[in-house]
Amino acid sequence: MSEAGSLVGELRALEREALDAIAAACDSAALESVRVAFLGRREGRVSTILRKLGGLSPEERPAAGAAANRLKRMLRAALEERERSLARDGAGPGEVAPDLTLPGRRPWVGARHPVTQVVDEICAIFARLGFTRARGPEAETEWYNFVALNTPLDHPAADEQDTIYLAGGGLLRSHTSPVQIRILERHKPPVRILAPGVAYRRDTWDATHAPAFYQIEGLAVDEGITFVDFKATLSEFARQFWGPGTRVRFRPSYFPFTEPSAEVDVKRRTVRADGTVEETDWMEVMGAGMVDPAVLENVGCDPERYSGWAFGMGPARIAMIKYGITDIRTLYENDMRFLSQFA
Amino acid sequence: MKVSCRWLRAVAPGLDLSPADMAARLAMRGAPVEGMVDLAAGLGAVVIGRVEGVRQHPNADRLSLCKVNGGNGPVQVVCGAPNVRAGVCYPFAPVGATLPGNVRIKPVRIRGEESRGMLCSARELGLGTDHRGILELAGQFEPGSAFAGSVGLDDYRLDVEVSPNRGDLLSHVGVARELVGEGGIALAALPGVAGPQFAVRTREGVVEGEGIRVRIQDPQQCWRYMAALVRGVRVGPSPEWLASRLRAAGAHPINNVVDATNYVLLELGQPLHAFDLARVAGREIVVRGAREGETLRTLDGEQRELDAGMLLICDPRGPLAIAGVMGGGESEIGADTTDVLLECALFNPRSVRAVRRALAMSTDASYRFERGVDPAGLERALRRAVSVIVATAGGVPAPIALDACPRPWQATVVELRPARVERLLGVGFDTAEIAGLLEPLGYRCRRMADRLQVEVPGHRSYDTLREVDLIEEIARVYGYDRFPDDLGAFRPGTVLDDSLLRLHDRLRTTLVGRGFLEAHTTAFAPAGEGEVGVLNPVSVEESFLRRTMLFGLLHGVEYNFARGARDIRLFDMGAVFRDAGPGQLPRETSRLAVAMTGRRQPGHWSREDLPWDEWELRGLVEEVLGVVVPEGYSVEPGTFDPAFFEEGCEYLLRAADGSVLGGAGRVRAERVDAPVWAGPVWALEMELGDGTRAGPETAFRPLPAFPPVERDLALLVPDSLPARQVLAFVERTGGTHLVNVSVFDLYRGGEVPAGFRSIGFRLRFQSGHRTLTDAAIDRAVRRLVHRLKEEFGVEPRGITADSPR
Repeated sequence: MSEAGSLVGELRALEREALDAIAAACDSAALESVRVAFLGRREGRVSTILRKLGGLSPEERPAAGAAANRLKRMLRAALEERERSLARDGAGPGEVAPDLTLPGRRPWVGARHPVTQVVDEICAIFARLGFTRARGPEAETEWYNFVALNTPLDHPAADEQDTIYLAGGGLLRSHTSPVQIRILERHKPPVRILAPGVAYRRDTWDATHAPAFYQIEGLAVDEGITFVDFKATLSEFARQFWGPGTRVRFRPSYFPFTEPSAEVDVKRRTVRADGTVEETDWMEVMGAGMVDPAVLENVGCDPERYSGWAFGMGPARIAMIKYGITDIRTLYENDMRFLSQFA
Repeated sequence: MKVSCRWLRAVAPGLDLSPADMAARLAMRGAPVEGMVDLAAGLGAVVIGRVEGVRQHPNADRLSLCKVNGGNGPVQVVCGAPNVRAGVCYPFAPVGATLPGNVRIKPVRIRGEESRGMLCSARELGLGTDHRGILELAGQFEPGSAFAGSVGLDDYRLDVEVSPNRGDLLSHVGVARELVGEGGIALAALPGVAGPQFAVRTREGVVEGEGIRVRIQDPQQCWRYMAALVRGVRVGPSPEWLASRLRAAGAHPINNVVDATNYVLLELGQPLHAFDLARVAGREIVVRGAREGETLRTLDGEQRELDAGMLLICDPRGPLAIAGVMGGGESEIGADTTDVLLECALFNPRSVRAVRRALAMSTDASYRFERGVDPAGLERALRRAVSVIVATAGGVPAPIALDACPRPWQATVVELRPARVERLLGVGFDTAEIAGLLEPLGYRCRRMADRLQVEVPGHRSYDTLREVDLIEEIARVYGYDRFPDDLGAFRPGTVLDDSLLRLHDRLRTTLVGRGFLEAHTTAFAPAGEGEVGVLNPVSVEESFLRRTMLFGLLHGVEYNFARGARDIRLFDMGAVFRDAGPGQLPRETSRLAVAMTGRRQPGHWSREDLPWDEWELRGLVEEVLGVVVPEGYSVEPGTFDPAFFEEGCEYLLRAADGSVLGGAGRVRAERVDAPVWAGPVWALEMELGDGTRAGPETAFRPLPAFPPVERDLALLVPDSLPARQVLAFVERTGGTHLVNVSVFDLYRGGEVPAGFRSIGFRLRFQSGHRTLTDAAIDRAVRRLVHRLKEEFGVEPRGITADSPR
């Protein structure tokens, strides 16, 4: 047997002895004396063996050195583990294991606002249909909020939206539609955008009205866009948002800035436990239509060449339907017990 | 618009849809039905009762004893109505009947007299609000016959939602036209009326005849004014067929002459006004703008101050009515009226709208004029109204009606290209198909080689002016649901995803990951919390636009405190508004606000609770800044918003270019209404810019091949010297191999003299080229200590070599 071989044999014997001693240590003082006995820098038995490495031939040294270092690491880990286990139950060997059924430490759970979640989900679906997001100011002029959108101020259509005016001039946009104008002024078609944002109406707070509310504007303008594209894209969105098989209905309606105009309804459906689907009522989910040629002319877009469609959708209403929220004020109270339900 | 289904069938004899089917059909034509009321609901047991005799109740002054024939022989009924008379018929609820509102009729004794049934008022039957007396039925009735059927109440009322462009739907004929087409409309002759005939004398601005004169002074605002006379009328209650039709459509009967005008308004959509001819001075109607200071007491009893230029109907003495809005009390039809001047006019929609808005009123007439009254329908409406008056109030129409018409109507002709229809709708229609869709609605189509010339009927002359308006009509009548919805190819747009919205996404991810809940606050604030005022606020709490996000967010904190929450973590992003000077839109920027209080981690039995403090706040601030200004930032003690943050406990946040971004710190106690048990509230608020700021592109650096060496250096630093200065100096002067400096210890007391603290810096040295020797590191540290002494006069408390960790 070579010297190296006997060294490795010694190490192996030492390993068993040391592990037994560690397991037998019943408090940290005992454990510390075990550490000194085996790993102590001067008198430690492992250190003593290591010093003998110098006497080995250069060929034998690496294997023996590696074995010694492995033992050192192993004993350190065993010491630490024992230390922890002593600290945990403050008791000696053979004591009960920690009660792993106790709750762990969990961090606070954050959440995006439920309306934000709906906005994000809608934007994500439209992103797959080629739409990017755009933005416009909340304080607007009458030009952007009404006139450029083909809504003369002396027409009853302007009454439909009870507008909040600012003392120093201007108004708070009564819908997100001004973003249509702002985007088309600066960008050449093809334009495919979604503009989520806050709009304002002069409503007093009640269960179904808030003077400030989220809206999402959608706009697609390009050559050759038709009413069929309009129906197809919004139906596709509805099926992705409310589930495949969702029925969508387009009803004629009126908005000054779209023609033809439509109200889009979605048949509410509940999937029962047995997998069958129950359809209930039609929900109004958006106002939409083909962009009125007058709007395109107002932004210098030739309506003979370009056409498009647009919609406006209320994510707060959709969130309320989706989560069964009955009072819109709940969305603005910022009660943590409410907000944390959407984590 | 409330319509009666019976009335619809009366003007469209071929209409055989159920009320529900009518509603469904209208919805798909763009006029959804918001409500459907069964007018006979609860009236099943109510019969016609004729009062055979009335005598005073022996024991009560205000009650009478009536002998009522309800079909099964006379019964005694005690009645408290002042208008009960013998020989008249009333709705009668016999014993056993249940009225709307679940009122059950039982035999009772009232003040000692037996009463077997009840004579009913309109309100008791759910037909209106009138409760001044029982509902007197005018006309011939069979006692005991079903009340609802006898008076035409076996009917449904539909509440049709009419969009502002469709003034033509504000009548029964208009709604019926959508259901059966123009060809299906036939106005039934009225009961007892042989159509009275009169000739119409049309002139431009002034017309005379029958001893009166009509003069239009303002042809810009009054496009046409027709006047017919009916002499010798007897004013009284309307017959039941007329009254019940009005009630079915939600209107209140007044008297036979006024009811005739309302009847025509509801049937044809043309507002009319009846004047008592005796009250028209000088026998002259002048249509003119109001003069400065003129006033008029309108029918509702209000004394109206008129602005100069408001269009009026006048006699030579002064105003009689506000054109298209409301009549005056002076010339109102009364019980003593014998001769009626019936106005049927056409006013400029814009001028009616301007006047009624200026006077803050809206009437059935102004509502229709604003939305456009059929310019081709005046004569028909006038003839209809005269015949209703003759039928219900008697009288003789004058042989000539006057017609001042400065602006004769001419039908608009719109060119329609089938190719354009296909280009916009995505489905092709040939000219025959197009004509087949449009003509039933009253459009007249002339087919040319590649296009159609479409003549627009009067009732659509306000909203069908362009080719695209006709294209909408084609899609609407064809049916939106018949268009395919196959998704085709699309080109990507030219607009980049908005950078600020992307920044919002990143911040949400960061803060939600840190356990924060996103709040939504509104942009409104009370005075003092904003610079930009609201002109027409809903409440004083919402009379300004917010200057800060924290204002609203701290309300959220208070809301949660009030519900017992101690650990609160909220954030919100939104617009704040600053005044940008007169005539300018406010300066609007996007900000983030975060507020927190209580523990920074949920409690656990294994450790102590840790509250939020300035260090935790600063760490959060730096994490958020790294997202908002990745190119670099600074966080220094300073003042950003003294209104919110406590003095001496606030950080000022700047971008690398030195621009101020916001502040963070402990919120002033007076800013938050907090319970006694609440801990301090910490917050941050900062500008987000437009999201286009970017840090350097991430580039890979090779991992160090040589081990680092660390030294711990404890310095005695006087309290007057900010740690930041020492730290910056160490970073600057530690030599080329100093790669990192951190603070690992802060200590006072013990051997540290008063007025000083010991700050422990951990210095990490590393070279990319070689292993650093202890000697080289010791030299670098000695040099550093020397320079620190020179610069600040600080002394080391100890230097320790430590193995890298």
